[in-house]
Amino acid sequence: MITSIGEIVRGDADVFPPYLYEAYRATIRRAPRMPLVEVPLELAELSGPLPNAIPVTSDDGDLTRNAGTGGEAIGQRLIVTGRVSDSRGAAMPDVLIEVWQANAAGRYIHKSDQWPGPLDPNFLGIGRCRTDGDGTYRFLTVRPGAYPWRNHPNAWRPAHIHFSVLGPSWSNRLVTQMYFADDPLLAQDPIFNAVPEAARSRLVAAYAHEVTEPEWALGWRWNIVLDGANATVFEEPGPA
Amino acid sequence: MNASLTPAQTVGPFFHDCLLRGDGLASDVAGEGERICLRGFVYDGDGVGVPDAMLECWQADRFTRVGTDARGAYTLNIISPNSVRASGSLTQAPHVSLAIFARGLLNHLFTRVYFADNALNARDPVLLRVPANRRQTLIAMRDADQSEPAFRFDIVLQGNGETVFFDFK
Repeated sequence: MITSIGEIVRGDADVFPPYLYEAYRATIRRAPRMPLVEVPLELAELSGPLPNAIPVTSDDGDLTRNAGTGGEAIGQRLIVTGRVSDSRGAAMPDVLIEVWQANAAGRYIHKSDQWPGPLDPNFLGIGRCRTDGDGTYRFLTVRPGAYPWRNHPNAWRPAHIHFSVLGPSWSNRLVTQMYFADDPLLAQDPIFNAVPEAARSRLVAAYAHEVTEPEWALGWRWNIVLDGANATVFEEPGPA
Repeated sequence: MNASLTPAQTVGPFFHDCLLRGDGLASDVAGEGERICLRGFVYDGDGVGVPDAMLECWQADRFTRVGTDARGAYTLNIISPNSVRASGSLTQAPHVSLAIFARGLLNHLFTRVYFADNALNARDPVLLRVPANRRQTLIAMRDADQSEPAFRFDIVLQGNGETVFFDFK
């Protein structure tokens, strides 16, 4: 894949994708071109939204049934689980995880997804949960399908689940995508390949037989690591 | 070491049903303090409004998410921010923090909104790190046409008047 790669990166350039990655065409007119201004952590927003800013019910983690129709989504049932930790390996409890994904046929319910893949009336493709005391999250869903997009000729997004991760600090806010091991479409996907090669595998979930439940659902494991180095400094209210 | 951090990926075009579900989004501002309407546009490098962006606003105890409309316009209802004393007892000028997400942004952008005519802006330690000729991109201007207190803040992702974006190090 021949591409022009920009030099502006937020966060560790060995981990995070550059804003400009021309093979992903939408970056060309949206990537900032001016250098980012570095702010030392003692001046940054080290507090963050409380996880209860967004309510979570126990039904929210079951995407196979949370459409509320009484019916079950069609597709291969998956249990997707993992642990959220900081960069020192400490568990991060009470982190809000929000997920969205295409259905088993590769179609989103979103009004601007108009390719002729069938909708599933029993599948919204959205879910949320909070990590438990061990930093563990868990969703029940169906395996998302791949879907076409118009980025380049015969372009298909590999199967993926979007993750929004809202931890205790505003400065380590993360939105990302989880992929599936051995997906042949990964090699041609510019969004996945925008991540530096050494870090790409961190976006790929592994099949986990110990998570698989007999006669029920296949298990996949994907862990998330947030930068936790700033957890020791706090903002305090100042004079009005 | 950052050796194990999880990389970011774009929010893509299909986040609305999940991230902008009505419940729990503090667009209906409650609490004490002067209510302020912050509005503006998100523009791309061609000066075209970005119709599929999402903004998250964090102001110490209040979290708000909004999407842009078909013209790239957004409206955030916030509470007038108090000044915040960072560690080291440097006083910061009143501001709110924004994270900007969109299709085509492989990682979200961080910026800040300061408010015009505040004397503390001149010695804010973050503004002072910004090249002087770019500081005005972080200042919301009072929108005199509105009956309620309102400020205008446009976000230019690229090109002339490009907004200053931050990296916390």
